[in-house]
Amino acid sequence: MASETASPTVNSPSSTPTQAPVEKPSTPPVNILPSPTARIYSLVHPALLLTLCTLRFEALVADPIRELLADLPWLAFLQITYVLICLPPAGTTPTEASFPAPTDGEDKKKTPPRSPSGPGVTLRPGKPGLRRKQLAGKHDFAGVWAKLMPAFLSLSLTFLLATPILAVLLVLFGAPLTTHNPETVLCAAHIALLCATALVYVHGVDGYVWKEVWGISRPADAVWGSALGTGLGAWFGAIPIPLDWDRPWQAFPITILVGAYIGYAVGSLLSRTPLLYGKRIQFTPVEDEEGEKKTN
Amino acid sequence: MVSTPTKRVGDSAGPNGPRGVSAASTARGSDQSPGAQSMKKRNGIQDDLARRLEQDFKTKHLGVLGVLAWILLLHVAGIYFFTKGFLLTRMVLDNASSCQVLPFDDASTQSHSTPTARHGGNGCWHEKSFDKAVVIIIDALRYDFTVPFTPTEESDSAHLFHDNIPVLYETAVNSPANAFLLPFIADPPTATLQRLKGLTTGTLPTFIDAGSNFAGTAIDEDNLVAQLHSAGKRLVHLGDDTWQSLFPGYFDANLTHPYDSFNVWDLHTVDNGVNEHLFPLLRPENRTQWDVIFGHYLGVDHAGHRYGPDHAAMAAKLQEMDRVIRDVIAALDDDTLLVVMGDHGMDKKGDHGGESSDEVEAALWMYSKRGAFGRLNQQTLLPPQHPRERSVPQIDLVPTLSLLLGMPIPFNNLGSPIEEAFVGPKGNNWANLVSVNRLTSAQIKRYQHQYAIARGAGDDDESLSLWSAAEEEWKIASKSTAKSTTVRASYDLYRKYQRHTLDVCRGLWARFDVSNMIEGVIILFAGIAVLVLYARGLKADRTELTPQLLSSICVGSGLGAVAGAGLALFGLTNMALLDMSVLLAALGGIIGASLALVKKPTNLTLPLPNGMWGWLSIFFTVSQSIGFASNSYTIWEDEILLFFLTTFGVCAGVSSMRQKLTTDRVLGVYHSILFVILGRVASFSRLCREEQMPFCRSTYYASSTSSVSAPWQLAIPFLVMIILPGVVRAFYAGSKSYEGAATLWIGFAFRFGLLVASLFWMLEGADDGEWFSLRKENLKSIRVFLAQLVFAIAFGAGTGAYLYSKPCVSISVNKPQPDDPNNPPAPIIAGQQQQPRTTVTILGFGNVYGTRFFFLVVNFALAIILMQKPMGQGAIALLVCQILSLLEILDTNALTLTNSAIGPVVLGVLGSFYFFKTGHQATPSSIQWETAFIPLSTIKYPWSPLLVVLNTFGAQILAAIAVPLTVLWKRPLKTHDRDSPSSSSPSSKPHNPAAKLLSDVVQAACTHLLYLATINLATTMWAGHLRRHLMLYRIFSPRFMMGAAVLAIVDVILLLFAVTGVRWSILSVGEIFGW
Repeated sequence: MASETASPTVNSPSSTPTQAPVEKPSTPPVNILPSPTARIYSLVHPALLLTLCTLRFEALVADPIRELLADLPWLAFLQITYVLICLPPAGTTPTEASFPAPTDGEDKKKTPPRSPSGPGVTLRPGKPGLRRKQLAGKHDFAGVWAKLMPAFLSLSLTFLLATPILAVLLVLFGAPLTTHNPETVLCAAHIALLCATALVYVHGVDGYVWKEVWGISRPADAVWGSALGTGLGAWFGAIPIPLDWDRPWQAFPITILVGAYIGYAVGSLLSRTPLLYGKRIQFTPVEDEEGEKKTN
Repeated sequence: MVSTPTKRVGDSAGPNGPRGVSAASTARGSDQSPGAQSMKKRNGIQDDLARRLEQDFKTKHLGVLGVLAWILLLHVAGIYFFTKGFLLTRMVLDNASSCQVLPFDDASTQSHSTPTARHGGNGCWHEKSFDKAVVIIIDALRYDFTVPFTPTEESDSAHLFHDNIPVLYETAVNSPANAFLLPFIADPPTATLQRLKGLTTGTLPTFIDAGSNFAGTAIDEDNLVAQLHSAGKRLVHLGDDTWQSLFPGYFDANLTHPYDSFNVWDLHTVDNGVNEHLFPLLRPENRTQWDVIFGHYLGVDHAGHRYGPDHAAMAAKLQEMDRVIRDVIAALDDDTLLVVMGDHGMDKKGDHGGESSDEVEAALWMYSKRGAFGRLNQQTLLPPQHPRERSVPQIDLVPTLSLLLGMPIPFNNLGSPIEEAFVGPKGNNWANLVSVNRLTSAQIKRYQHQYAIARGAGDDDESLSLWSAAEEEWKIASKSTAKSTTVRASYDLYRKYQRHTLDVCRGLWARFDVSNMIEGVIILFAGIAVLVLYARGLKADRTELTPQLLSSICVGSGLGAVAGAGLALFGLTNMALLDMSVLLAALGGIIGASLALVKKPTNLTLPLPNGMWGWLSIFFTVSQSIGFASNSYTIWEDEILLFFLTTFGVCAGVSSMRQKLTTDRVLGVYHSILFVILGRVASFSRLCREEQMPFCRSTYYASSTSSVSAPWQLAIPFLVMIILPGVVRAFYAGSKSYEGAATLWIGFAFRFGLLVASLFWMLEGADDGEWFSLRKENLKSIRVFLAQLVFAIAFGAGTGAYLYSKPCVSISVNKPQPDDPNNPPAPIIAGQQQQPRTTVTILGFGNVYGTRFFFLVVNFALAIILMQKPMGQGAIALLVCQILSLLEILDTNALTLTNSAIGPVVLGVLGSFYFFKTGHQATPSSIQWETAFIPLSTIKYPWSPLLVVLNTFGAQILAAIAVPLTVLWKRPLKTHDRDSPSSSSPSSKPHNPAAKLLSDVVQAACTHLLYLATINLATTMWAGHLRRHLMLYRIFSPRFMMGAAVLAIVDVILLLFAVTGVRWSILSVGEIFGW
């Protein structure tokens, strides 16, 4: 029997066995913040995105590159507003506080988010520090800083890591490699903003959580639901492309993006319903479920 | 040969962990203990048991082959019935026109009153214009080759095939009275044989014509050649030997020179032969020896097949044809008609057979020194620039040529006289024009009447009214003196009648036999239902069920056959006896099989998937099947398959992330990523079909208008030779299995075979590019030798290696010194004194079945790689890598032991995907016929068709061969439980682990078939349902034929090679490790 310590999890700090996170959830589903503003805006936000999508649709069909580029700052702004208002930043969820360090050392190689902040060790001490500050007293500055810092982190990771990964994935699914490169990258950037911003903001670079993300085994909540919904929507969005209807909107990135936006809204709303909240997608065993996949 | 003790060691090593890469175990030394006697006895019983288990396995293996054979027969029966109703048929009437009988109903009265009825020297039916004719067919002479290139857009530039045969256009423009040039539209299928039938009989081709005549049997309908022959004309044929099989005995044996038509690599033999014999006949002293010469040049067609139209060889060939025509003109006398035509066109790559515009647009040019031709008005003076303007159907040649030569129009003709040939040099000979059209119309009417009688139906009312209206006009016109408008009106009405009848016939012969089609669909559907039950709905060991299953199938089929024969004999059905008994036998067999399968409900489970993988398999199969209802998804099938494969790869990566063992997780993710990337890399090899344009760029050949590989592509075979054996070796080394025969076979023989194959393709490239000054024949014979050498390695030596080699394990025995102080004291187990321990190390133990069976994949991969063009070789190499990655994914995700459907289904998807990546499309014109000449210089049956199959369906064949690996790869070795006192009751049936393995293999094979059978049923049903669809012949019908062919071929491959091959794999493992 090969040992499970054989590979990338060498610096696992505690005695937690590697298989534990798979069996036991490391992080429970994330709730929208309890304030009324947060509750209301969390419902308004998907609708807002869909409206934006509808309003700009014609312009998107007319000139995809320009429109996607022009919309990108707005989408980033909306997403950041959403996470700032509605979601708890990384390191503040009560459960995570009660569930201390073991998470971070895991699976560095799978957790790309770590890289921009330099060697893994430096960030970790910072986080409990932030947490302590936050818990100590709700000073305005500290509170804002505790939110802005993850927001900034999530934006930069979204653009620096999630976008290239998604662009590669789009190409692997059949997006043209030699042509349409701006479209592919912009499409990836939009999808990344939709699915990765909130994930990074809420979970930071928590290795356990990200391993669950790669394994599509997160419990359903607003953040994970919208991310998975975005992926599934983009996947289904590819279906109309080959049809011979000769509509201008059948051009490459448009249907995928529209699918992603719809998937985002549907996933974000559905996953909050009591029926789905906290549920996980089962792969192999008893449960049947889910044929499906990520982007494109 | 491994000695007995070692073998015993292997036996006890069985229960080791599934992934154990080495196993150490103990063995007793030689028998010196007091218990030797009893041990010998025990051994004897064990050996006896092993023999019985082996025998049991062999019997069961034959049994499952029987089941697979029945499934094959079922599929063939289903496809047969559907095809019978779907492929269109036309009745062939035996009637022939004769010189003495005019086609009019009241022939006796007409023959006196019209000048057209003169018999004898001036021709029958109509006054002849020419005594003699030279008919030259330039195979695949596309219309745009013959007219000057004019750019339609700014960016257009002339291709190499433009402006190389200007003689036709020049003469038509410079002396319109001597020549005219028109687009000449073929009725698909655009194969030469079908075209020659159309050009001589004037009828439309139907599928059954195509079916019954591929063997090249003679035309038994009335036709132009037969008419000329019976009129006593001396006919000469030169060139393409298809004419000989169509018109045996009609040509002057001394002057005729046929040449082999199928060797498409040879551009010059046929053409030089025609020239050699044609020009002497044109000399004045020889003119009396013949009346009509048919010369059939093949160089242009072969240049197209071999190089594509946009190639210097094509330009040279067209220039040569230009010179030939000029020479013929120079040698012609006044009374001889010269006709030059293409029998079809060619597509962008130079192939033909389908019905795309480029394939059907040929050129027709007629020439006479006397100045016999004219134009009805000045606008039609120039030959049309575009092939769809003023085009004439090819069947129009039949009445035109018949009447010009003073022959009766062949009875079954549906064509119309070409107006330029009859209107006279001044363009005003209306009387002549109306007269020939009246004759033609009358003959068409007579034919339609006879056909209606033969079919037991009435005449078409609209046609009759058109005919009588035309007759009315004609009567007025022939009486009155001022007849210019009425003559014109009657001419128009006759034309309208002819074209209307042609349309009616096109519709008529698109008559499907729906009941036959439904019978076929029912058989295919029921076959799938049985397959679902057998492959996915059984808990029990399939091999245990085999005897019952086979006997019920036999009883059911037998009863069905007898019942069918009885029904047919007593006239209770109007189906033919054979059809009826086949139908009922198939249905009886299905009922028998279902009864046998459901007899024990405890054996059954609901054949619904549990878990994501099962649903994903169903999703791939069903969504693709539904997609075939849409022409878009059929056209873009290659892209959709890539999408599915990437989806599978991502799912596999996600699932791998969930694995508990780190090794499983890392390996699983690694191979998932590899799998996805390999698929995407392979997707860069594409050959676009016409409908994909302009969103697709072909990369398979040097350019989209070529069918030779670019020079850089010749490097691909060498890369494959360097990389592929190493990759296979790495996968073997992963389980320490690169031992034994593997080192020799993969490291040396496989690599050597690939090297020879790359040399072959380099020489091929050298021949195409004319890099060497070697003679073509020498190059060809070297190539043939190399190719045959590869086949000898792959199938000759390879089969031997497969049958006789040992499993890929290395066993080393360390016998310690008896008085070694480090030697632990011999343990006492089960009351027996143990001898000093001997350590036995078995390398490659973890993958004994898989690595052994993979030899078969290597053999087939080698042969298939040789048969592909360089780009396709890279694709097949990627397929082998992807198959190996898939096997690792299955292993790391614990899908090998659970008999998941996903493995065989993804192999099916891979097979279909790489079909497209090896330069094929679901269109007849993408068949690479020339690959039949890779290891042969002439057509040899049955090898040539098999070679084309190996080229066309190589990817599916390779995937099918790999199907047993989905359960064999890294399968832990299991032998019967030796410790249980099974020896005490030798009569009872021992549990046989090999049978379980066999059952799993059959399950995987049937799951693979299930995928293909579902695809086949879907394409069949859609083709039947959409039989009036505009795109039927372009898209749905070819896809149906491809699906049916793939299903039948994979049935055969699984039956004869894959599942059969498992026998030797398991036997050789059993020989070493026991049963």
